[in-house]
Amino acid sequence: MQLDFASREISIKLVYYGPALSGKTTNLVALHGRAGADARGRLMTLETQDDRTLFFDLLPLTFRSKDGDVSLRIKLFTVPGQPIHAATRRLVLQGADGVALIADSRVSETQRNADAFLDLRQNLRDNGIEISKMPLVIQFNKRDLPDIRSDEELARLAARGKEPVFRAVATRGIGVVETFVCLLWLTWRSLDQSHQLSRKLSIDGDDLVSTAAQQLGVTTPFRELIAARMGGRAAGAAPGGAP
Amino acid sequence: MSDERSTDVDALGLGLGPLRLEDLVDREAMRGMVGSIEQVFGMPVRIVSNSGVSLASSSREAPLCAMINEEPAGRRACGAIVSEVKRLRVTSSEGTTHGCFTGARYRVVPIEYEGGTIGRAILGPYLPPSVDTVPDTLLAIEGVDPARAAELLPHMARATEATAEIVSKHLVAVLDVILWSGHKALLTSKMHIASIRESYRELSEKNAALEQAYERQQELDKLKSNFLATISHELRTPLTSILGYSEMLVGGIAGELTGPQLDFVQIIHSKSDQLLKLIMSLLDLSKLESGTVMMRRSDVAIGAVLAEAASTVAPVATKKGVTLTVDAPGDLPLVLGDPERLRQVFVNLGENAIKFTPPGGTVQIVARQMATEADAGGDEPGMVLLAPLRQMIEVRVADTGIGIPEAERDKVFDPFYQVDQSSTREHGGTGLGLSIVKRLVEAHHGTVHIEGNEPTGAVFVVRLPASRPSAPPSKAAISVRFA
Ligand SMILES: Nc1nc2c(ncn2[C@@H]2O[C@H](COP(=O)(O)OP(=O)(O)OP(=O)(O)O)[C@@H](O)[C@H]2O)c(=O)[nH]1
Ligand SMILES: [Mg+2]
Repeated sequence: MQLDFASREISIKLVYYGPALSGKTTNLVALHGRAGADARGRLMTLETQDDRTLFFDLLPLTFRSKDGDVSLRIKLFTVPGQPIHAATRRLVLQGADGVALIADSRVSETQRNADAFLDLRQNLRDNGIEISKMPLVIQFNKRDLPDIRSDEELARLAARGKEPVFRAVATRGIGVVETFVCLLWLTWRSLDQSHQLSRKLSIDGDDLVSTAAQQLGVTTPFRELIAARMGGRAAGAAPGGAP
Repeated sequence: MSDERSTDVDALGLGLGPLRLEDLVDREAMRGMVGSIEQVFGMPVRIVSNSGVSLASSSREAPLCAMINEEPAGRRACGAIVSEVKRLRVTSSEGTTHGCFTGARYRVVPIEYEGGTIGRAILGPYLPPSVDTVPDTLLAIEGVDPARAAELLPHMARATEATAEIVSKHLVAVLDVILWSGHKALLTSKMHIASIRESYRELSEKNAALEQAYERQQELDKLKSNFLATISHELRTPLTSILGYSEMLVGGIAGELTGPQLDFVQIIHSKSDQLLKLIMSLLDLSKLESGTVMMRRSDVAIGAVLAEAASTVAPVATKKGVTLTVDAPGDLPLVLGDPERLRQVFVNLGENAIKFTPPGGTVQIVARQMATEADAGGDEPGMVLLAPLRQMIEVRVADTGIGIPEAERDKVFDPFYQVDQSSTREHGGTGLGLSIVKRLVEAHHGTVHIEGNEPTGAVFVVRLPASRPSAPPSKAAISVRFA
């Protein structure tokens, strides 16, 4: 996170993590498509080979608060999922303020999803961060495919976990904005707690996230939007403990 | 983060820090672009970064400017204008214009990238069409020859403001493309180098650690196997003789033995045999403890292992009048393990259970799949991803013997421990069987513990992780009864 008082700009780094081919790049492409012209920067896909990310993708997004006074600049990265790019993943992860883990819903991918999560946890640890301290959202992508883990199972497990879980079909843009907005919200809350952003800039986090959601073409209030999650006690309470 | 190892993410372009024009563009490409714009539009161009570094500029100087620069006063005045232009505040992305004492103008447009200004492009000097005579501001400069100035003035680039605006827009558009590809190239190459460096560092660290561990392991191995070889040789050689000679005595090779003599020699033989087994178990245990035991891992169907182990110990049970049963459902997940070692685990547990069960009692071996989700802590991050892989298989070996008091249950797995020391004498055995079980189960990343059986007896509970999340092809359930 970077805070520029003079220009009233907050810069946040978010990272989409996950196993190879789970749909991280597809999520970014969908977000890029949804974002209004003012919000979206150019989507940069770095070095791909057969559609597999070799280094990372980067989507810059800029959201302005309602009165246009504060700018929220997001740098949204994906990591390359293939095991061979372990070092790149660790590098891209450095300085991340929030992470979304994009999992592949198919039963056959269960092991690889878990491996990616453990890899994320280890890489964070290597960077000196405990995963429990990192704003985290989990997305189960590819809900349109057969032989996927059931809604019922995900709901049951998600209800027991702390982090919000979303279902998505990234190729059709379903669940993509929800995942992003929820991650943004969690990240904002965590940064606000550690850096008192809303007090220093005298802005309201809810408003800021709301306008961000609007600039992604969402008309429903963002709290309704992220209510589509399963589980996620972490995203439940507002800062200060209000319900 | 104060970690020295970590590469600076901003330096990598992966952070949030501002971008610098000089990092994004290739100067050679920049000079090429400036040259071609000058050629097409006849207008000088200069590209300056935010920090004031001039990255490219037209090579040709207008003859009028060259003349002015020949005189010290002219040079001073010209320098002043140029630095004014370089430092001019440009607030709108449309740009702004600035006049020169020659009557020429400069057009300054900001170079913007990712919402920030990182430099400026300066067009000019160019003469608006309205200027057709040498202006007084130029004549006022000391040492300027009016006739020469009048002669050179028409050679200066001419453009209307509208043209200058079009050219500057074009310039900014071309620059944007160059910046974009420059940015990509920058990130790619930095990332490439950083990744290689990071991989190299990681590999070197691992290599060093492995090498160390390997050396240590080799040393230990050598010591251990020397020791084991010596011990087993030294202990077994005399024992083999004792066994051999007592067998010969029993066989009557040295002459017929009297009744009591035969009894005594048979006792010598059976005790020696017991001692040999004890030595073998000790060797086993020490191998397990040093981690040098070889495990051949494959996907194992636990039901079959249980049936096999049960049939091994069934004769003992039958002889003693103990009923032995095995039950395993057909859809149990597989266990990743060494089938021979797993068989040993359940043979030992079976033997132990039969040993402590009185005649008429039962020993039940039951396998089932465990719903471990209930055990996983809900506060652990990533539950939804990890839980399905934490499938466990539980095997319960239950007897109807004397049972084991709660306080003793952990100690049972210590080598040579037996709940009631007298039972060793009463039931025979070395007391090593259970410690071997524990080590073997742990080598399979499993756990073993003891629970009480109702109304009496003990249950040894072994939990082993399943090898795969997906269910294996269903097999027939196993249900065997030896009585
Ligand atoms: N059916 C289906 N396919 C999807 C979905 N999302 C992504 N895909 C496909 O999955 C493949 C991989 O998607 P990517 O977005 O490139 O995956 P990635 O996670 O960026 O992969 P790496 O860059 O290798 O780590 C592509 O062929 C996508 O079209 C989805 O929701 N449903
Ligand atoms: Mg990708």
